[in-house]
Amino acid sequence: MFDTSKVGHSFPPFTIEVERCKIHELALAIGDDNPIYHSREAAQAAGYADVPLFPTAPTMFTFWGNTKFVSNLVNLGVNPMAILHGEEEFEYLAPINPGDTLTGMTTLVDGKTRKGHAGSMDILKLETRYTNQHDQAVLVARTVVIVRG
Amino acid sequence: MTTNAQVPTKVYFEDVQVGDAIPRLIKSSVTHLQLVRYAGASGDFNPLHTDPKIGEMLGLGGIISHGMLIMGFVGQMLSDYVGPTALRKFDVRFKGMTHLDDVITCTGTITEKFEADGEARISGRVKAADQNGDVKLIGTFVAALPRRNAAQ
Repeated sequence: MFDTSKVGHSFPPFTIEVERCKIHELALAIGDDNPIYHSREAAQAAGYADVPLFPTAPTMFTFWGNTKFVSNLVNLGVNPMAILHGEEEFEYLAPINPGDTLTGMTTLVDGKTRKGHAGSMDILKLETRYTNQHDQAVLVARTVVIVRG
Repeated sequence: MTTNAQVPTKVYFEDVQVGDAIPRLIKSSVTHLQLVRYAGASGDFNPLHTDPKIGEMLGLGGIISHGMLIMGFVGQMLSDYVGPTALRKFDVRFKGMTHLDDVITCTGTITEKFEADGEARISGRVKAADQNGDVKLIGTFVAALPRRNAAQ
């Protein structure tokens, strides 16, 4: 069971620079060959100022930006091998462009333990709020993880 | 809330009706190499997604895809439909695991047209399912669309 005293707790903020090459790499891995994700020139030819943010690119901010992400979960009493991804939500508040530096802060907004026939499971809700180098709020990412007991 | 002056027009607000189907996206089958590439790109190196021994050990019948790869497929469908900078919200709930060789089809429907924050917006629901019709995720999105006769 996770550490319920940590509900409401925020982890130390992390920063990440938005990189064109990572958006390119992510689009390739997903199998999207839309040229707007593959070069600035192609993006501009299509009418964008620069390579736009692929819709699920914020997932990279969590794993590559927050080097403490897994240890944060371990500190909550969670076994990373027992995690299932329940839900994910992105709320895009303002444009995010290559070269931007984002600061993210993750809060455990809610957590419950459910007991069922097969054992117990923890349901944790994490919210990460991102601001850019101008202190503008640019993105909110909300994640529900399910931890099998 | 800022509007994106740079958004290239993909579809106008006036041309969308509630009930319209979003052009579906059928992906190539999920391969082990794709999961390796996706792990590297996303930074999620959970061995569940790349090491067959771990998947077998955990009783999952082999490696399973990152849920976020499937959300990425739906993201591609929305990017093709309205463009990435039109999105205001995108959320999914994962319903089933995706295995190697699964062929995922992404679909969606427009559910609402409304105005908010000075923008003309649409809402829709989305789904990703495999070749057997097993649903991998369901979700919703909100996008801001340009008007055909925008006042300057």
